[in-house]
Amino acid sequence: MKKLKILPPTLRERKRYIAFQVIPEIDEDFTYSDLEAGIWNIMLDFLGEEGVSKTSMWLLKDTWNPRKGIGIIKCNHKSTETVISSLGLIDRLGDNRICFKILGISGTIRGLKLK
Amino acid sequence: MNYYDFHVRSDFSEGESSIEDFASRARLLGYKGICITEYFQSKEQMEELKKKCEEISEKIRIEIFVGFQARNTKEISKLISLRREYDVLLVKGGDLGLNRKAIETPEVDILLHPEFERRDSGFNHIMAKLAKENNVAVEVNFREILLSSKNTRSHIIHNISENVKLCKKFHVPIAICSGAISHLQMKDPKVLISMGTLFGLELKEAKKSVSEVPENIIKMSKERQNNKWIRPGVKVIK
Repeated sequence: MKKLKILPPTLRERKRYIAFQVIPEIDEDFTYSDLEAGIWNIMLDFLGEEGVSKTSMWLLKDTWNPRKGIGIIKCNHKSTETVISSLGLIDRLGDNRICFKILGISGTIRGLKLK
Repeated sequence: MNYYDFHVRSDFSEGESSIEDFASRARLLGYKGICITEYFQSKEQMEELKKKCEEISEKIRIEIFVGFQARNTKEISKLISLRREYDVLLVKGGDLGLNRKAIETPEVDILLHPEFERRDSGFNHIMAKLAKENNVAVEVNFREILLSSKNTRSHIIHNISENVKLCKKFHVPIAICSGAISHLQMKDPKVLISMGTLFGLELKEAKKSVSEVPENIIKMSKERQNNKWIRPGVKVIK
């Protein structure tokens, strides 16, 4: 399949990566798919389909660390606050009660890892 | 920046988690201090709570302040008479009369959720002026939003936004709190700040409402507990 020519940097959307840690209740476990479903459901409930489209939100599966419960969400630079407040509204994943801790926000994944 | 959560209720009165659970969760989330806000029963209960908070504060290495939540005018007058013995006086909002009484009383530090279980916002421009005069902060409660859904949540968000708009116009201090009754309901300070920006606050103002506003309340409270203090603006120098 023919690939699209990439946009020049000035025309690209400015993005932000938000690193978060999921703190579950003691002795409770959850899977990545639970987390993904939980985040998408709360975002769609709270912001609506149109609202979520404006955030350009994406959950980066490759960066998910199940041992530490650390993951990264990508969104555009204008909607970091909206995405963070939506994350705060998640208090359950399935039957497990959880809490989100925001570890950092950065324009690059490298910058986030350095933080 | 030092962050504080000034509205958590432990199992000491009606909450679900112990003070220790709250303190360790707050430390994990990056708070510098929390305020345990209980319902007042007796002076003995107050002393017991103060002692317990001190012990846990030393053990977990986090500042724990003792606050009391008044639920009616009788409780307000009772708590005012004991004002020097604890740190923060909060009034449970929702009732129009109580909202008004709270913001007319300079001894009160925070008016909690003035829009609680109301169709309107429970707060108007006259009350905003009085709140500014008496330096009473208005709370934005995160638990109200967390536990509601669909149309109820949208009504609550609308009412809170209206209150925030008035507070901004009349320079009334705003305190964003989790309002947690369980340590699992405590939120990261960044989440509270982000929620504040959704209600119409600037990022700087939202940060101030989680750090500077509680800090000022504590500063005022410490001043008040000093023997030389007589009333706001009056103290013994010699």
